Amino acid sequence: MTLSSAMNIVDSSFRAIGTQSSNIASNISNANTPGYSAEIANLGTTAYGGVEVFSITRNANAALTAQVNIATSESAMQSVLATGVATLAQTVSDSSNATSTGALANGASPAAMLGNLQSALSTYQSAPNSLTLAQAAVSAAKGLAGSLNGAAQAVTQVRTQADNQIAQDVASVNSLLNQLTTVNNAVISGLGVGDNVGSLQDKRDQLVKQISQYIGVNTSINGNGSIGLFTDGGATLFQTAPYQLTFQPSGTLGAAAAGNQVLINGVPITGAPSNTPIQSGEIAGLVNLRDKVAPQYQSQLDQIAGNLITAFQETDQSTTTLGLPPQPGLFTASGLTGVPASSNFTGLANSIAINATVDPAQGGNPNLLRDGGISDTTSTNYTYNSTGQAGFTGRLQQLLTGLGATMSFSSLAGLPTATSLTNFAQSSVSWIQAANQTATSNSTYQQSLLSRASSALGNATGVNLDSELTNMLTIESSYQASAKLLTAANSMLTSLLHAV
Amino acid sequence: MTINTVSSNYLATAMLPAVKQAQTQLATLQTETASGQYADLGLQLGAQSGYELSLRNQSNLLTSMTTANSITATNMTSAQNALTSIQSSASDSVKSLVALTSGANSPTTLQSLGTSNLQQLLALANTSSGGDYVFGGQNLTSAPLNNYFSSPSSTAKTAIDTAFQSYFGFSTTSPNVTTITATQLNSFLSGSYALQFQGSNWTTSWSTASNSNMTTQIAPNTTITSSTNANTSGFRSLAQGYTMLSEFGNIGLSASAQQALSLTATNVINNGVSGVIDAQATLGQSQGALNSANAQMSAQVTLLQQQVSSFDSVDMAKIASELTQVSTQLQASYQITSKLSKLNLAQYLPA
Repeated sequence: MTLSSAMNIVDSSFRAIGTQSSNIASNISNANTPGYSAEIANLGTTAYGGVEVFSITRNANAALTAQVNIATSESAMQSVLATGVATLAQTVSDSSNATSTGALANGASPAAMLGNLQSALSTYQSAPNSLTLAQAAVSAAKGLAGSLNGAAQAVTQVRTQADNQIAQDVASVNSLLNQLTTVNNAVISGLGVGDNVGSLQDKRDQLVKQISQYIGVNTSINGNGSIGLFTDGGATLFQTAPYQLTFQPSGTLGAAAAGNQVLINGVPITGAPSNTPIQSGEIAGLVNLRDKVAPQYQSQLDQIAGNLITAFQETDQSTTTLGLPPQPGLFTASGLTGVPASSNFTGLANSIAINATVDPAQGGNPNLLRDGGISDTTSTNYTYNSTGQAGFTGRLQQLLTGLGATMSFSSLAGLPTATSLTNFAQSSVSWIQAANQTATSNSTYQQSLLSRASSALGNATGVNLDSELTNMLTIESSYQASAKLLTAANSMLTSLLHAV
Repeated sequence: MTINTVSSNYLATAMLPAVKQAQTQLATLQTETASGQYADLGLQLGAQSGYELSLRNQSNLLTSMTTANSITATNMTSAQNALTSIQSSASDSVKSLVALTSGANSPTTLQSLGTSNLQQLLALANTSSGGDYVFGGQNLTSAPLNNYFSSPSSTAKTAIDTAFQSYFGFSTTSPNVTTITATQLNSFLSGSYALQFQGSNWTTSWSTASNSNMTTQIAPNTTITSSTNANTSGFRSLAQGYTMLSEFGNIGLSASAQQALSLTATNVINNGVSGVIDAQATLGQSQGALNSANAQMSAQVTLLQQQVSSFDSVDMAKIASELTQVSTQLQASYQITSKLSKLNLAQYLPA
């Protein structure tokens, strides 16, 4: 043991202290950076008895990180689903105005509008000679058609927006994957030369978390420190190089149109044609909204519209029994020839309207509602009121009965298939509100899970200022002691030199 | 690291989600306090929304039916009042006839009795309510009975004159009328004269009313016949009786024929009275049905509205206590955030 070796050891101590301080400084300055993992300088003894920082450990936690990623995906999926369903549910939002009374208090849902029409028809038949009541009934019918149009438009809007959002998400994922490539390459080369790659790894984890917002992912770390990224359905997203996602947006998605699927290297990862569909993330939620939830609601609206046309259809009334086919009466749709078969209801909710011949705003005669002959004003083949008397109520009562009669509905709507039009419309309200309730509660639940997971990860990997400050104090003392040691060794050496 | 570690960043922001949640809750509670209803009813009711809506629809339908029933009720009351007047003047005229037949038979009185009663009958039969003729059956738009006394002569009057002429071979103004025997007159009155008040003769010359009465749905699944018409036997018999007196009461018939005329008229008018009473009874049944339907619907509406409000309305006491809880929670969150920010070693280390 020589004095010079003591000097060397003190020197190594200063160097270690320097590294430790810079480490603490970096930790403290990043204390409020989300996703920053605290770094710990590991000290060790050198061969000649000195001290050195032989490694810097990144305070990472792979299990918690994975959990946060999963929670992010689930939460993003439920959140877009909840937003979409809430938009659809707005078409049936009732009691939006608590002060309104009577028919207005019922909201604007097709079911409520159907109720209004029923009331208007019932009032009309009690005074069939009243033009005012006839107009009121026609305007109630208009309200119902408008409500169906509005709801169908909302469905189209939700689906189109989902489709556009998928396109944007795909672009975001592709850009994130490109960034991931750069960062991942930097990590690999950094590790190769033994650099501290902590901040790069943080950045990489952040990118993975951002991707998991869009697509549920699983990760694996290879031997050289490179990351592998797979969708939760099992398709590869990234393995040393990114796999490109492609998606063709459809523009406006009408009632009958199906959107395209998201592809990885040409293989679908969403929807029915995929063997490995993604299970979570915003894209999965949007595809579910676009291809399942919204189309089902559309189908319900179409069923209401189609059966409405059927319920108000006019049958052959000719005395000679010409055997004419039934024709759409009060309700019709553009481009309709004859009463549509139940297999052809698709898209009717978008186009249903009241017949111009009965609409006073289009020069029609509202009394045709009472007399019949809406479908054919040139002959009396569809005229129910054969005597032309103003007190004829038979047709109106027949229509009222028709609204309560059992009709058949497509099972695709996911509602009772044999029920009355009014019941079906009400079931549809229940269906969408139940979906809204479920989606909202799922979304809230997933958000709280995400917040728990994030705080667990943050607490496990983040910076605690107090412990950093305590470390700083320790280092400060150790610096003082080393300085003392240096002074002592120096004075000893000086004494020795004087003695010589 | 151990589970005891805590990140300063997360410690500082630990209360944020709680504060945010409490604030959202506060906003919701405020809306609910103001409206007395759930802030988002659909979200609250979920699958029950359709049921709640069906209750509202049902309540609206019944309310509008009750309102509409008042139109029907007014029409029926008008008809009933007119029928009562018709019936009472008919009964009065029968009394007068009986008195006239047994006492001195004054032709002028007989004629004017017939004329004035027929005019009154025509006027009452053309009663309208809210622009609709109540005795038109389904024909609401034209006055049911034509004016018999119109100038030039109405079809009905011409037809009767023609019938008289062709039966007796001379007109009512001819001096030959004194030769008509009671038997001849009776046979004319029950024959070609009576035919004028039946079938297509009645509906072409006298009446434009429809034989079909109006039907009205007064409650779900309850339909009533809500009108009567001027083609019923009551109207026809009364018109037949009154016209008889008006036309032949003062044409100079022999005493025995005059006697026969009064007797026949009395019988025919009596038949008319019972016909009118029949119509009143039928209409009265419909009125009764309407009243009981209204009473039943009003009870139902009350029930339905109670149910709806049990779905929609929030418990104000519950809201008040929740408001207190949330604001206390919010205050606690603020205090903790402020305390936590002071718990920092940097504050205690010497500079």
